[in-house]
Amino acid sequence: MSELFLQQLLNWITLGSIYALIAVGFSLLFGVLNIIHFSHGDVSLLAPFLALSVISAIGSALGDAGSLGTFLLALLVAIAITGVIGVLLDLVVIQRFRQAPAMMALVATVALGIVLRELIRHLFPNGSNPHAFPRLVEGDVTIAGFTIPLFSVMVIVVSVLAVCALFFMLNNTRLGLHIKAVSQDRDAARLMAINPGRIFRATFFVASAIGAIGGLFFSSYAGMARFDFSIDVGLIGFSAAVVGGLGSMPGAIIGSLLIAGLDTLVQATVPNGASYRLVFVFLLVIGVLVFRPSGLMGRSLVEKV
Amino acid sequence: MAESLALPRDTSNPVVSALTVIAVQLAGALFLRQFLLIDDWRLVIGLLLLFGAALVLMERVPSLEARVEAAFARHSRLALLLGIAIVLAFPFVLEGNTYALHLCVISMLYAVLALALNFQLGSANIPNFATGASYGIGAYASALLALNFGVSFWLALPVAAVVATIFGFLLGIPSMRTRDSYLALVTIAFGVVIHQLLNNLEFTGGPNGLVGIPAPELFGHSFASPLVIFGQELPSQANFYYLSALLVLISIVFARRLHDSRVGLAWNALRTDELAARCQGINVTWYKVLAFAVDAFLAGFAGTIYAFYVGFISPDNFTFLVSVTIMTMVIAGGMDNILGVIVGAFLLTLLPEKLRAFSDYRILFFGVTVIVFLMIRPQGLFPQRLRRYGH
Repeated sequence: MSELFLQQLLNWITLGSIYALIAVGFSLLFGVLNIIHFSHGDVSLLAPFLALSVISAIGSALGDAGSLGTFLLALLVAIAITGVIGVLLDLVVIQRFRQAPAMMALVATVALGIVLRELIRHLFPNGSNPHAFPRLVEGDVTIAGFTIPLFSVMVIVVSVLAVCALFFMLNNTRLGLHIKAVSQDRDAARLMAINPGRIFRATFFVASAIGAIGGLFFSSYAGMARFDFSIDVGLIGFSAAVVGGLGSMPGAIIGSLLIAGLDTLVQATVPNGASYRLVFVFLLVIGVLVFRPSGLMGRSLVEKV
Repeated sequence: MAESLALPRDTSNPVVSALTVIAVQLAGALFLRQFLLIDDWRLVIGLLLLFGAALVLMERVPSLEARVEAAFARHSRLALLLGIAIVLAFPFVLEGNTYALHLCVISMLYAVLALALNFQLGSANIPNFATGASYGIGAYASALLALNFGVSFWLALPVAAVVATIFGFLLGIPSMRTRDSYLALVTIAFGVVIHQLLNNLEFTGGPNGLVGIPAPELFGHSFASPLVIFGQELPSQANFYYLSALLVLISIVFARRLHDSRVGLAWNALRTDELAARCQGINVTWYKVLAFAVDAFLAGFAGTIYAFYVGFISPDNFTFLVSVTIMTMVIAGGMDNILGVIVGAFLLTLLPEKLRAFSDYRILFFGVTVIVFLMIRPQGLFPQRLRRYGH
């Protein structure tokens, strides 16, 4: 196994984990709300900007912007605020489209994504330009003679932990079971004294917070935060969720790994691959949906008459 | 909606109703003229408020709306002739303002695109985020023909439309099995693939696009030179104004004929209940693919005119965002309503242009407007009507 191959393999899983963190949110929200929250990618990528703001705020207030403690605190605060923003978007906008035709909600959330991107551009100082975003951890570890960047290890470990925590939450806690109940049958859940509105807000918080981790990792992976990152990342996260089958968590993860795999492969092997990567990724998306019209793990559509 | 099953009877004086038609049409034209010519953002906001007030009035006093509608139904020939006259005369009242004329041309091209998408989204409720891509394919196909083989505009126009239609069929094939969000993603993916290819391929000029597309000529008159009618000189944009007005007219006739045909009925049946439509013996697959093809065909025409009008095209003219804008025009204007879709197209084309005073903030403003609009009036400006039969 050559060094280069290992590097690509690691790159694949790192990228796949980041996409999965965002795709899981798309799938979770669709499962519960039955609408596409197209701006989920934009919400997720607010997190790096929030983290940078918190760091500079702490820096100007206390004067120690460089310490590790500050940095960790900033990340946690960013994740929490992103979750709250997700809830607020539901309360202000998305809530109104619960009964509307699906396409209406889709177009509205696409517009919402535009608004979020533009808000970053105007509210963040120098928002139109890329901002350096630090690697969360530096250095390498050596395992069995191979040097592996610590960053990749951390991304993979944290993503696995986050997804496991989500699965645990969905299957074993009261809130999780309520979420599953609402996604299966909103009216029956209401009859069981579950308040769907509260469940929707909880789902928005969880999905946005997990997406925020993905957003922070992505900016750290790219080394910078840009207001327009979310166009590509959001689209890829959405595609991963759809290819996997909307509403299915394992599907979203498989979809992310599939797309990240092709992405890495094209960049490594095809000449001029970096500019053609999206072509390959989206041809894959079309290909998968031709043969599996409701995604790889999607519930097959049986129409009730 | 039940009350509008039959055509409302117009019991008032025929002269009064004829005057109503004339007044409404002239008021519409005057409003558009003022909206195009003013620069001050305060006046723009004022006119928008006026427009909003008219809408609220229509919503509050349905009898008024019904009266206007009945008048138009009664004097349909007068309305048509006056409409054509207004469109023909419109460039003369713009005081030679080339920018206003330019906005008219672009709005009309978008109106064609929105009408094209309306076949799918409005009539059959098939989402399509690839209209921008079909528009781009039409533009690139005709521009490449003109630049590489010296093909004239008039020949490039049908050829580009056919090329776009072939792509529409190609897009229709993977769409046969998928539905709803999955279908939306297939069309998004198709749009991204086309955009990325245009952006990266050698022969499409990459991100720089294609430059120097020659202006069309007709009977020795170049479309790049000013148009002289009755001794009055109009700026060169007027050539394209009349050309795109003709295309809008063709699209409207096309849309109406299709709406009234079995094809339109089949699409409506698909929209209401796909399974029931299938049980009625409607070939669902064929009509779905047909909707994609018709959309691409009209979009190809619009793309060709755009390419020859501006003379320069780049992949950035045909992004995912363009497709989203066209979707918004149809939804905001009123699905399956020809007038609504055209008004939606004009409004959403002119709004960002007229908000230039907000310079950097106009995209933000645009996004907020779309969201607020969808929240306030989810059924669109002019909601779809039940089909009407029997006079």
